[in-house]
Amino acid sequence: MSGPLADLRVVELCDELGQLAGKLLADMGADVIKVEPPGGSSARRVGPFAGDIAGPNRSLNFWYHNTNKRSVVLDLDRSEADRAAFRDLVASANVVLEDREPGNLAALGLGYDALAAIRPDLVMCSITPFGQTGPWAHYRSSDLVALALGGPMSVNGYDPGDAEDAPPIRGHGDQGYNTACHYAAHGTLAAVLYRDTTGRGQYIDCSMHEALSCTVEVAMPYWLYKRQEVIRQTGRHAAVNRTEPMLHTTADGVTIHTFGIGRDNSSWRQLKEWMQSKGFGRQFDDPRFDDAANRQAARGTPESKEIAEEIDRFFAALPAEEVYRGGQERDQAWGIVRSPDETLTDPHWHDRGFFVETIGEGASAPAAMPGAPYIFSATPWELRRPAPKLGEHTAEVMAELAEG
Amino acid sequence: MTDLPLAGIRVCDFTWIIAGPTATRVLADFGAEVIRVEHAQHADGIRLGRPITGDTPTLNNSGYFNYFNRNKRSILLNARHPDGMEVLKKLIAKCDVVVENFSSRIMESWGLSYEELRAIRPDVIYCSVSGFGHSGRDRDFTTWGPTAQALSGLTFMSGLPGKPPAGWGYSYMDHTAGYYAANAIMMAIHHRNRTGEGQHIDISQVEAGIVLTGPAILDYTVNGRSWRRPGNPPGNRAWEPAVAPHNTYRCTGDDRWIAIAVMNDAEWQALGRALDEPAWALDTRFATNAGRIAHQDEIDGHLGAWAAERNDYDVMTLLQAAGVRAGVVQKASDRFDRDPQLAVRDWWHTMPHPEMGDCDFDGILPKLSVSPGQMRKSAPLIGEDTHEVCTEIIGMSDEEFAENDALGVFM
Repeated sequence: MSGPLADLRVVELCDELGQLAGKLLADMGADVIKVEPPGGSSARRVGPFAGDIAGPNRSLNFWYHNTNKRSVVLDLDRSEADRAAFRDLVASANVVLEDREPGNLAALGLGYDALAAIRPDLVMCSITPFGQTGPWAHYRSSDLVALALGGPMSVNGYDPGDAEDAPPIRGHGDQGYNTACHYAAHGTLAAVLYRDTTGRGQYIDCSMHEALSCTVEVAMPYWLYKRQEVIRQTGRHAAVNRTEPMLHTTADGVTIHTFGIGRDNSSWRQLKEWMQSKGFGRQFDDPRFDDAANRQAARGTPESKEIAEEIDRFFAALPAEEVYRGGQERDQAWGIVRSPDETLTDPHWHDRGFFVETIGEGASAPAAMPGAPYIFSATPWELRRPAPKLGEHTAEVMAELAEG
Repeated sequence: MTDLPLAGIRVCDFTWIIAGPTATRVLADFGAEVIRVEHAQHADGIRLGRPITGDTPTLNNSGYFNYFNRNKRSILLNARHPDGMEVLKKLIAKCDVVVENFSSRIMESWGLSYEELRAIRPDVIYCSVSGFGHSGRDRDFTTWGPTAQALSGLTFMSGLPGKPPAGWGYSYMDHTAGYYAANAIMMAIHHRNRTGEGQHIDISQVEAGIVLTGPAILDYTVNGRSWRRPGNPPGNRAWEPAVAPHNTYRCTGDDRWIAIAVMNDAEWQALGRALDEPAWALDTRFATNAGRIAHQDEIDGHLGAWAAERNDYDVMTLLQAAGVRAGVVQKASDRFDRDPQLAVRDWWHTMPHPEMGDCDFDGILPKLSVSPGQMRKSAPLIGEDTHEVCTEIIGMSDEEFAENDALGVFM
């Protein structure tokens, strides 16, 4: 128990939407007790499953989002005895995280007011699609619906030439749920710090819709300042006017993202010399290319178009590793467009000890997955236990409560 | 002014572009005193970033900068000047947190490694955000948001099958690396509150991105299935949970779309009722989720034809009333001008700016009942707070300030 949150006990009543918030706290040392209904959290029914066989303990999605938690089964919806046990549990806890529909817990006598009466310094965070109030508070959502209403999808998509009549595109990986949880953690931690200094608890209303609405970067200031909309473009920033492509394909068929070519004179000179040493980019000696303003892909200049076309030819002649590493060594912040599993073979992440191994029902051997999103020098991220089996810790936790 | 949850926390903020300023925006919104340390010869490029008001950038008329830097202070300091470095060290001694998002060797090159910072301020919390982190063989490589998204797998996971990656139309990983940094800093403050111990936090923007792809990686390491396979990425259709219909459908108007997600049989039946039960909605082949997945081309065709004749907000209202998950693909203008949910929750704010006049902002979330975040002021003019910070925080006399100013320390 060495994490920065090792003194905190958290009761988590979360499914797909809120479970990452609990993981963020659990992975940094908090004792997160996940309270699940008798059939298990609905998140246990989300695939993929180990060996493609469904089962409450075989969801890889659940494994990933529930590391370091303990699982307790309580039937809050049907059993007064279990509701009493839940109150006892909250009395022992510092934080409650929940993602039920607004009003649901209050109707069971387990709303913030009731729980704060038991535990006055309680920090309770409710994570919902739209918040506790307002005309959409009871609208139903999903990650897709949230990314649509919140704004991210409106700026993700294609140039017409790449995919005719293409819709706005949702990036996968449940990034709507993730963003809601990043903000839920902001609020919860801020409230914990307030409690550290004042002793007071409080209630936190976290709306996924608001979290996404302020996570769309330049689209928002363009509307706020210019009343202009940005347009979708393939694999690069949406912009007021269409810009040059930034995805280029190498000789071995790999796509590389080239954001930022020509922004400053030093990196441009290095790139130009490299390309010319391979027989490309001779036209870049023309003084038109000496001005950074002419080179910017975002400016729609003839020079930026010529650069993009020449980069296309240059990449087509070289393998991806040479392009990527050669570019980075010359101050080009380029990136290979990797599938998530392709990150596993990059030795840099292994140098940093990034990937960790977990195990669970249906896996024949420990399996790698992403580990720490941050390296803390004094109180490190730690994988203390894999995701719990359904109800694995019910008896253990009830015994702890009985002992007081 | 009511209490703020981070009142009393002072942050020495070297950040620029988006990722670092996003982290300090969160801290500033919740009440930390964030002091941007700036140098006019090497100004944050976002100070020149569009949209701007007026015709040419002035360092103080960027709406883009204002959006990410509200509630903060700014000092001008030339750290290349030996006296400037002394002033900087005095400031660091008065700060709880130092945060930066330079490439990985810059702070070392200034003589401000964690060990050196700790010599100045023993319990300092030092958070660095860089592309590849401060260790590992490629620590000198760099990223922008879009290239971090490419390297982490997020770009690849966004797109239509058989097409180039659509990726993200903005720097999602600038926002999100900033979110991880803000969370990490608050965790470290909690630890310091209990123990008195500070620490260094090393964040790699690419690692923070890979963290967001966990189930896809486990599908490979447990099941041997790569996301790079025919039919992937699946556009707006579902990956997991595997359900159908689950897609976007064009509505009337220019570039108007509705997203619909049917997660189970009950929701499918509700959808059918909302549409007045056309024959296709009652087709027994579609009664189960497995049947709907097998025939989703056909179902998408029917739903698409139905939606194509309708207004997107009308479709959302109709389907939500029936308990079906549906949402308009809202643009910025829709959220600002039409979205009744954001409006009623007091999401939009206006604050004055000395050069830009009244500026619009989005709000602060989540909503804390006792000590909520507060909108206090627009982003600082470059160097706006130099004199106050030097005299009130560092304890310089007006004479000392004038001497340093004459030496070129504050530029």
